[in-house]
Amino acid sequence: MNKSKTTLLAAPYAVWSAGFVVIPLFIILFYGLTSENGGLSTGILQAAADPINQKALALSIVFSLIATLICLLIAYPLSLVLSALSGKAGRENTTFFTMLFILPMWINSLIRTIAWQNILERTGVINRFLNFAGLPELNIINKPPAIILGMVYDFLPFMILPIYNSILKINKDYIDAAKDLGANNIQTIFKVTLPLSLPGIIAGITMVFVPSLTTFVISDILGGGKILLVGNIVEQLFTLDNDWHAGSALSCVLMVFIIINILISELSERKDLSENSKGGIEL
Amino acid sequence: MKKSAWAGKLYLILVLIFLYAPIFTLIVLSFNDSKSRSHWDGFTLDWYISLFSNEYIMNAFWNTILIALVSSIVATLVGTAASIGMYRMKLPMKRLMMGVTNIPMLNADIVTGISLMLLFIACRMTMGFASVLIAHITFNIPYVIISVLPRFASLDKSQFEAALDLGATPVVAFRKIVLPDLMPGIIAGFLMSFTMSLDDFIITHFTKGPGVDTLSTKIYAELKKGINPEIYALSTILFAFVLLMLFLINMKNSDRTSRRRGPKNWAFLRKATAGISIGLFLCLSLTSCASSYDYDDENTLFVYNWGEYLDPTIIEDFTEETGIEVIYDEYETNEVMYPKIISGAAQYDLVCPSDYMIEKMISEDLLLPLDKSKLPNLKNIDPAYLKMSESFDPGNKYSLPHTFGTVGILYNKSMVDPEDSFDTWSILWDEKYKDDILMQDSVRDAMMVALKLLGYSMNTTDPNELREAQQLLMKQKPLVQAYVVDQVRDKMIGNEAAIGVIYSGEAIYTQEENPDLEYVIPKEGTNFWLDSWVILKGTKHEENAHKFLNFLMEPEMGWRNFDYITYSTPNIGGRALIEEEEIRNSEIAFPHLEDYYGLETYSYMGDDYERQMNRLWREVKSF
Repeated sequence: MNKSKTTLLAAPYAVWSAGFVVIPLFIILFYGLTSENGGLSTGILQAAADPINQKALALSIVFSLIATLICLLIAYPLSLVLSALSGKAGRENTTFFTMLFILPMWINSLIRTIAWQNILERTGVINRFLNFAGLPELNIINKPPAIILGMVYDFLPFMILPIYNSILKINKDYIDAAKDLGANNIQTIFKVTLPLSLPGIIAGITMVFVPSLTTFVISDILGGGKILLVGNIVEQLFTLDNDWHAGSALSCVLMVFIIINILISELSERKDLSENSKGGIEL
Repeated sequence: MKKSAWAGKLYLILVLIFLYAPIFTLIVLSFNDSKSRSHWDGFTLDWYISLFSNEYIMNAFWNTILIALVSSIVATLVGTAASIGMYRMKLPMKRLMMGVTNIPMLNADIVTGISLMLLFIACRMTMGFASVLIAHITFNIPYVIISVLPRFASLDKSQFEAALDLGATPVVAFRKIVLPDLMPGIIAGFLMSFTMSLDDFIITHFTKGPGVDTLSTKIYAELKKGINPEIYALSTILFAFVLLMLFLINMKNSDRTSRRRGPKNWAFLRKATAGISIGLFLCLSLTSCASSYDYDDENTLFVYNWGEYLDPTIIEDFTEETGIEVIYDEYETNEVMYPKIISGAAQYDLVCPSDYMIEKMISEDLLLPLDKSKLPNLKNIDPAYLKMSESFDPGNKYSLPHTFGTVGILYNKSMVDPEDSFDTWSILWDEKYKDDILMQDSVRDAMMVALKLLGYSMNTTDPNELREAQQLLMKQKPLVQAYVVDQVRDKMIGNEAAIGVIYSGEAIYTQEENPDLEYVIPKEGTNFWLDSWVILKGTKHEENAHKFLNFLMEPEMGWRNFDYITYSTPNIGGRALIEEEEIRNSEIAFPHLEDYYGLETYSYMGDDYERQMNRLWREVKSF
């Protein structure tokens, strides 16, 4: 096939993403750099210096780091278990396990998060059970642990899927070789499986960290309105204050953190992004 | 070894319980006979039945499915083509394209959503179904590309070349050799983007227009006032359906392993996809016909009202009597309604804003004066409330009261010390009730409580008084369990908190559900509010709007609506029709205004003032 003609197949997408991805980002930048009377402004610096924003940003970063870490700690052993199970049963099971973790996402995430209120509340499912068993109450609703739980819950599948996929891709001969050479199970995991599944881990971290950092829904639903994350402030600036300039300026500050996160993951990946299945699923 | 396998399985089960626990909670709630999620009233299937007649939820559901399907099909086509093109690109160009592809995936949803919203506004595009669809296609394409592009790595080029050598055209060779190899990636990409689209809230939230709702935005709107159990029912049906599909697919898969995977399967899939696309196209064209209302039709009326604020049977009766078709939309706050009106995107005729918002709309010349000769039923409205309305609408020129009420304290007799007095805002600062207090999560209602306690006007502009009230609220924050809006209702019914700040209209309903609850108007004074109908300037249905208002003021309608929403009606004739004496003469629903001290309505204070107040409130919530 004629090479240049084939490349043209990407043209519709190139036009689409220029129009709906690149230009909109410049519009945000434009609003962030200007003020309401049209002149240039230092809105971005002001947004970064505002103590409310700083506190919200710091909280968001801490919460999302914790949530990402918990997700990783849950997802990695789980992926090992899953790959051991699907290794035995063959390929269809891979699809089945993948679907088990995608399935909850087909029920709206807002309604699932709201259901956590029912579970965590003082008169909720868990506490009724604890009361019945004569145990002390669990009182985390409307507090930071509930928000972190919500983040872990909502984004855990985004950590499981890439890690699981990358472990499945590992050539089993490497693992056998390690064992032949006298490594025990734990050593094999740390010396062979873990380094080889690193691309999946990095993809998972990005896919959990960014949405946790910028959510406003989870803090709304499980935080009782007492904790403002940076997403809440951006949302309020646009919908409540109608102040697009301040909102865009804070979005620009937020993007700096996202770019840093992307750069870190790119650096540690050192691989062509197109070759790894970031968040993708395999059937 | 055996032991670790067991441990592994147990671990898997625990994680699955974690992931599925909320879904099971939803399933249980869908069978609950109570409208409130906080207590169990026995088993019922009613929500499943009423679900299918709930136009709003069903519309939102079909919108969700339609947007997910259309956006993922378009994304699959564009994304697959792009992947083929990108595969043949030179490296720098490919890098650039890959970088752009990563943006929507790695960027924050909120930034993507806002950036698209600003683009649509800059292009003067009316936000609605199309804007949501464009947004979803935009964030879906990358998922297709990252699923399809890696497939080329395992592609055997020599087969393709052999096909060409044997005389196949490039297109045929592509279809016979390359496409089957790409297919798993294409299907994975399609499924991934379908899932992402189905589950998206944030991007839809910012790019949707009036009248267009997906399930996510509908649920978010209901979050503030309590989730309609029909949504639990819908989620349960969906879950059962998806689970069934999963098992069917799984069985089909195990079936297939015996045979070799051949192009035959893909031929079937191709046909199925084509079938679905054609079906969808038909659906889409049907819906677009249905949703493009005929704006010039004489016999229509566009009404924009608060959620759950009008008995739907009243609208049906109106249409039956007059032949006028009512297109009815709902909003959650004045602040959501206002931008939609001024953007001119939606051509509503009648709206029902609150006092201060009406004042703002009058000052901006957005309203049409009422023609009272066409409203003979005005005689049914209690003059006392018309007089109260004069504070924001002098001469009652523009507005007609729909409901009114106060803001007060709701407390649970079984959870508080009977020695305490609850007719004062200061009880909300009592250390004894730490973590047992629910405050209103809106700037003006929260500030009102503090200002009244300090003895100031709730419309004060004095920066010192405002600062003082803010300090008081900050002092209160450690005692507050949560800042909520209409969730106060469910939480108080479920004994989740002992004291809450609530609108009087909700109080009667909560008392019916939980007899321990008591409502009082604090002695320091409070907000007396009115929500009133206004006709928008530029209406094309002035005549119909008057007919509708006159119909609403009939005593029977006033009574029926009160019975349905439990918010006080200013309709004297309607009130007289209430059967239960204790409700007809309820001090909560129909307080003797002259007996209370310090009742005030909110005034509109200007945009700068509002931003300043928002800022004060953000400081309270932040620190």
